[in-house]
Amino acid sequence: MLDVAGKELRDTISDVGVLVFFVIVPLLYPLLYAYLYSREVVHEVPVVVVDECRSATSREFLRKCDATADLKIISYCADMEEARNLMHRHKAYGLIHIPAEFESTLVSGRQATVNLYCDMSGLLYYKAMLSGCTMVSLEMNRDIQMTRLSGLSDREKEVITMPIENEYITMFNPANGFQAFLIPAILILLLQQTLVLGVAMLAGTEAERRRAGVLILGHEYDNPITVLGGKALAYLLVYGFTATYVLCFVPWLFHMPQLWQLPTLVAFIIPFLLSSIFFAICISFFVRDRESCFLLFVFVSVPLIFMSGISWPSSNMPAFWKVLAQLFPSTHGINGFARINTAGALLQDVRIEALSLWMLTGLYFMLSLIIYERMYRSDKMPGVEFVIAMRARARRNIRVAARDIREAGQEFIETTQRIQNIRRYRRGKKNN
Amino acid sequence: MSGTKQGFWAIARREIVRMQSRPLYGLSMIFAPLFCFLFFTTLMGEGLPQSLPAGVVDEDNTTVSRSILRNLDSYQQTEIIKQYSNFAEAREALQKNEIYGFFYIPKGTQEKASSQQQPKISIYTNSTYLIPASLLYRDMKTMAVMASAAVGREVLYAKGANLDQAMGFLQPIQMDMRPLGNPWLNYNVYLSNTLLPAVLALMILMVTCFSIHTELKDGTAREWMSMANDNVFMAVSAKLFPQTMVFSLMALVYLILLYGCLGFPHHNGFWPMFVAAELLILASQGFAVFMAAAIPSLRWSLSLCTLWGVLSIPISGFSFPVMGMPPALQALSYMFPLRYYFLIYVDQALNGISLVYSAWFYVALILFTILPLVDIHMLRKAAYEYTYMP
Repeated sequence: MLDVAGKELRDTISDVGVLVFFVIVPLLYPLLYAYLYSREVVHEVPVVVVDECRSATSREFLRKCDATADLKIISYCADMEEARNLMHRHKAYGLIHIPAEFESTLVSGRQATVNLYCDMSGLLYYKAMLSGCTMVSLEMNRDIQMTRLSGLSDREKEVITMPIENEYITMFNPANGFQAFLIPAILILLLQQTLVLGVAMLAGTEAERRRAGVLILGHEYDNPITVLGGKALAYLLVYGFTATYVLCFVPWLFHMPQLWQLPTLVAFIIPFLLSSIFFAICISFFVRDRESCFLLFVFVSVPLIFMSGISWPSSNMPAFWKVLAQLFPSTHGINGFARINTAGALLQDVRIEALSLWMLTGLYFMLSLIIYERMYRSDKMPGVEFVIAMRARARRNIRVAARDIREAGQEFIETTQRIQNIRRYRRGKKNN
Repeated sequence: MSGTKQGFWAIARREIVRMQSRPLYGLSMIFAPLFCFLFFTTLMGEGLPQSLPAGVVDEDNTTVSRSILRNLDSYQQTEIIKQYSNFAEAREALQKNEIYGFFYIPKGTQEKASSQQQPKISIYTNSTYLIPASLLYRDMKTMAVMASAAVGREVLYAKGANLDQAMGFLQPIQMDMRPLGNPWLNYNVYLSNTLLPAVLALMILMVTCFSIHTELKDGTAREWMSMANDNVFMAVSAKLFPQTMVFSLMALVYLILLYGCLGFPHHNGFWPMFVAAELLILASQGFAVFMAAAIPSLRWSLSLCTLWGVLSIPISGFSFPVMGMPPALQALSYMFPLRYYFLIYVDQALNGISLVYSAWFYVALILFTILPLVDIHMLRKAAYEYTYMP
């Protein structure tokens, strides 16, 4: 088994293409992604304003909007046409419209309305605008109520305006940001996908070399358990380092929440890596050359991240996709790691995910065993049939050559004898 | 080369045979896009997630707290699946991913409210799952404000105010939010409109680069060049023509799926988006040829094309806006064809504004298409001198 592991490690290190997947991509890609989302949320979304009221109250409202972290007023427009034009040119993503009767409605004690128009090319614009304006309106509402209730004590006013207070606590992702939500998922998916691509590339190289007759497998390849165990050991060794870097160092570098407990993390990541490794080995049996793995496996990352339920909630997925998602280590890996890392879950909290990963490890191990057995024993493994044919042809050629040599030798002997006979005959004639 | 036919159609026919000879092409050009089209549109078929599982800790257990919960459950997007007896239990359920958020009503809420002591109720969400958490928050926040308003309204009614006066007092300024183009806040509209072409563009980048470089790897490039009479421009365009046709068919499938079957907003009609999709195909092919010619190694140029295809998804800014990214990446976003497609989609399908506003985005896609003119001559050289390095 160690022989196989050693050979696999040597192949990995000597193959730049595989090293790219096992080392360089995991090294750089997470940095790029984390950098992309490093600002977590959008601040200062540019908005335009049409203020038809032009009163002290409307100006106060707008000033307060501008002062929020969410919004930034870039222009006060004369009419809707001008404002719309700015939005069409992607200069602004929202429009605050204050109708002419705004102030008079307020003074008469009725409800006044502010119209907000929002560009929906990104939901974050909508979110920023809604939260920014709602905050301002709540604050101003309270002020307006206070002035109307003059005569009462401050405490009394507060009780009437807000009889029940409420607070919002966003657990585990305090900034409510994109980075802390998406990056853990991307990190886990990256580990699985680079493993699949790297292992597939190694297998592709092997298949190409076998086809060319360069590579002939030794006897240690007779026992499938040795082969699978050896390969898994080699990959696990490499990915021990890769995973440490990707899952521990990258989040630390970008100051992301890291609430994991070491024993939980280790106990969870080992089944994740093992199941991903056997998943990769399973797939690699069908690969016939080095580069086709790109075309077949890269695009899968996009559906996989959605299947995990980190973005679109898994409680709202059609049953079919939910079942399919269970087959990929990344689904359980993402859900488990996101909660271990970001929500500080312990092993008992993610035991369902951990258990699923162990089951997938078993499943893919058995599957690879069966496929390897079948392909190797029946010589269907890409390239093996060729090696056997080559051997047979060589044996036949040797037989033919030997026969030729034998025949040539006999001919030589026969000819020599004939020449001697002629000479003897001539000598006899002369003597006579 | 005598015996082999020459010219555009001969090369195109040769390419069709090559494509048929390996299942890899069928899988990556037809199966992969179709799978993703079907996957994303059915996955988010609900549009806006409904009945998200939420929990509640009701330590008060009075008429006020129960009416809050009843009201919350009647919201379409929230479903109270369980009542927890204490905070710790709810927190654990949150960590186990049984619920996305919960409402905490402490003991004595009603008592304090009626004795005017301002009790406080709390909303907790697990923002590890950002989308369900923010949707739940919206419902719970409204509920909390309304619960408060209900108590305030009772006080005002008691003082003789009518509904109009009461609302005018409780909420003097009201927000009227109008999401343009996607008033349902439909996530399928929001994501599928860019995800489907993104997957298609990714496959185009990879397949184009792969099919050119396998000619070099298998040593068939000389035959390919000589069929075009050493005219590298004709050789490449004839080779890619059948692929363009297949990809166009795929584009047609997703356009019909999105704007026909699912009826997503397409305010300026079918044609602006059809042209944009066609140009996206050509731009992706152009970019891939550029890469293939610039880097004479199958693996490296394919790696770069893949990187570009995958990176174009976040960097096009349809989920996280470009304006929220670091400046260096904002500049980089202009190097991705998908970014322009996304901008065209926003203008032409979502907002339905005049074509004039999007003209430059179409031009940018055309520029990507003719990008290979810069370095295509290197491909001809490679065809004759290249040796495959694994």
